[in-house]
Amino acid sequence: MRDEIAPHVEDITRALGGKVSELEIEKELSNYVNVYRVSLDTAKRSIVKKHGGNPAHLSLGIAKTIRELVPGENSVNLLARIVSVNEKTIDSENGARTILYGILGDATATVPFTAWEPLPFEPARGDVVRVANAYTKEYRGQVQVNLGVRSVVTREAPDALPPAPVGTGGPSPAAARATPVKIVELREGSSNIAFTARVLGVERREVDVDGGKKAVFSGVIADETAKSQFSAWKDFELRDGDVLRVEGAYVKSWRGIPQVSFDERALVKKLDDGALPPMDELGRSPRMWIEDLSERGGGVDVTVRGILIDLKEGSGLVYRCPECKRVLRKGVCRIHGEVTGTPDLRVKAVLDDGSGALTAVFGKDLTEGLLDKTVEECIAQAKEAMSQEVIRDDLADLLVAQPVEARGNVTSDDYGLMMIVDQAKILKVDVREEARAMLEELEGPA
Amino acid sequence: MIREIAWRVFAGEYNDANKDVSGGGERSPSYVVTPLGAKINRLFVVGVLTDVENVATDEAPMWRARLQDPTGTYHVYAGQYQPEASAALAKLKPPAFVAVTGKSRLFTPDSGGTYTSIRPETVKVVDEGLRDYWILDACRSLKKRLEALREAYKMDPVTKEELAALGIKPPMAEGILAAVEHYGKVDLSRYSAMLAEAVRYLLPEFQPAKPEEEGSAPDTASKAADAAQEAREQTVLGIIGELDSDGKGASWDGITARAGKAGVDKDALEELINSLLDKGLIYEPILGRMKKI
Repeated sequence: MRDEIAPHVEDITRALGGKVSELEIEKELSNYVNVYRVSLDTAKRSIVKKHGGNPAHLSLGIAKTIRELVPGENSVNLLARIVSVNEKTIDSENGARTILYGILGDATATVPFTAWEPLPFEPARGDVVRVANAYTKEYRGQVQVNLGVRSVVTREAPDALPPAPVGTGGPSPAAARATPVKIVELREGSSNIAFTARVLGVERREVDVDGGKKAVFSGVIADETAKSQFSAWKDFELRDGDVLRVEGAYVKSWRGIPQVSFDERALVKKLDDGALPPMDELGRSPRMWIEDLSERGGGVDVTVRGILIDLKEGSGLVYRCPECKRVLRKGVCRIHGEVTGTPDLRVKAVLDDGSGALTAVFGKDLTEGLLDKTVEECIAQAKEAMSQEVIRDDLADLLVAQPVEARGNVTSDDYGLMMIVDQAKILKVDVREEARAMLEELEGPA
Repeated sequence: MIREIAWRVFAGEYNDANKDVSGGGERSPSYVVTPLGAKINRLFVVGVLTDVENVATDEAPMWRARLQDPTGTYHVYAGQYQPEASAALAKLKPPAFVAVTGKSRLFTPDSGGTYTSIRPETVKVVDEGLRDYWILDACRSLKKRLEALREAYKMDPVTKEELAALGIKPPMAEGILAAVEHYGKVDLSRYSAMLAEAVRYLLPEFQPAKPEEEGSAPDTASKAADAAQEAREQTVLGIIGELDSDGKGASWDGITARAGKAGVDKDALEELINSLLDKGLIYEPILGRMKKI
């Protein structure tokens, strides 16, 4: 015990500028930790404060494994591997700044992290890092590691951390504590979650990671609540239709859509086929409110009902750069200059369901269907009218204030949600039937 | 900038609002907060256009339109900065089913009072089907707020955290907090009645029967009385239509004179006019003039 505590006693003494003797501090620290059972971190901070010092001057964090982390720790040391890392620009009081976020893992568990200050090196997936003086917080019910001004992050040799245990020995201790969630509840940055879902489709891909190629098994899974894309970084011999119980997975996001990943740290079990509804039922596109989609950041193959409130700039007949497919403005591509564009039809409309709004993008085939005209017919019509705008006007007549049901993938960015529409239909609702149901709810059955 | 939601809110609730909030910054959006906590920057409304006129000059027109839903009337103003909406309004002839998307506005004249209006972005003629669909949407929206407020009124004080625990999302919770702070606890029964009335508006069984739809009335006597009443209403409706030669509506005096000749006395006429107003078959574009919808 004494050996363990000694460096912390030194740390406290240093933080107090040597005005209290080490012996006294050692006695106090041992009292806090052994008698009052206060955590070492809290004890150190209390002692420094009590003697009029500043706890920020403490420099020696407490080494922990990820599994041991709890919210509200002020100086934690970790040795971990970067499972994923992404950049994000945020608005702060001092203007836009770039932060890093991702997931850290060690042999015990994974945890989301955010680095509020630039790191001294370019971090990459797979790097082993030593983190000193990180702090933890709780976010959406999960522990999160934060790296701030006081934190020191250094890159270590790849073998400084033993490779993650190969998943033969059953669940890691972390998996035993995995948080159960439904697919609809997946949130970016969640880690160590458990779920039950059916594989709707899976395929093997090779991806480039540090030091060569790696096989990843990815596809779509679903439960009764939603669908999600997934990536399995180990061959769990997944087949289309399998019902899985996965414990110890984590969630990353792609263009805002949360998607689940799991690797050799996770426990993957195949369940009886009857554990979930059949493929065709789960394969249906769940109907969702836009407010729920914006809370999640998007969704895979969802259905939304709402009204097309407005047609956006760039709807109708457009010409695209043959090189980069960007839409030309006055025959000029932003990148490739003056080019001969290829004609295309599209609709960018605001779809609003009263709970939220998204930008719905209809491609050429859907737009041709809506207009009941081909691109060629539209070109002829525009020539005759000597304006491309006629097509846009036709679309506005057809679509503005029109209730529709649209199905597709919804992604998100700083400008909000966007649906790439797969299928759309003009919505016909039996208003009377729904009104009767509502009246019954208001007044009780007649 | 995330796009603001287009609220489906009844005129009856919107016009009760007398509170606006802005995000503070120069470019931050402003909102009109209703007593039920709808925090509105943009609205989508569908109703009957009953009246549109240029209230400014020919050179710099300002179009004022009235749009009616089952609970009240919206006031829509479009000027030179809303060229598309102005052009659309200039062309419209009431009555018509019209959909308007626009920004919320609150106006407090020096003479006192507070008035809500809509500054339109798009104006489009639609059909009755969409109007009914909209009413249903607006009912759902109102119902959701009523349910949330009933829960919120049980809290003391109302907090975002407690609202969140009930599954109320932060944007809605903000509106509720702003409403409770400004309006206090309002009488919800007024709005539940508004909701029930709007739902019934969609159901034929709650509409006064039209002659061709009759047939199952159990009592032949009352059926005959109804038919007679119906016939008199049709007469008055016909008179109003005929007298409305200039599109401004039939004058009250003209209607009284013609009705007298048709054997309808003044008291009966008033009753018939009220009934027609209730059924939404006529309206009063300006005081003392009646017009068919």
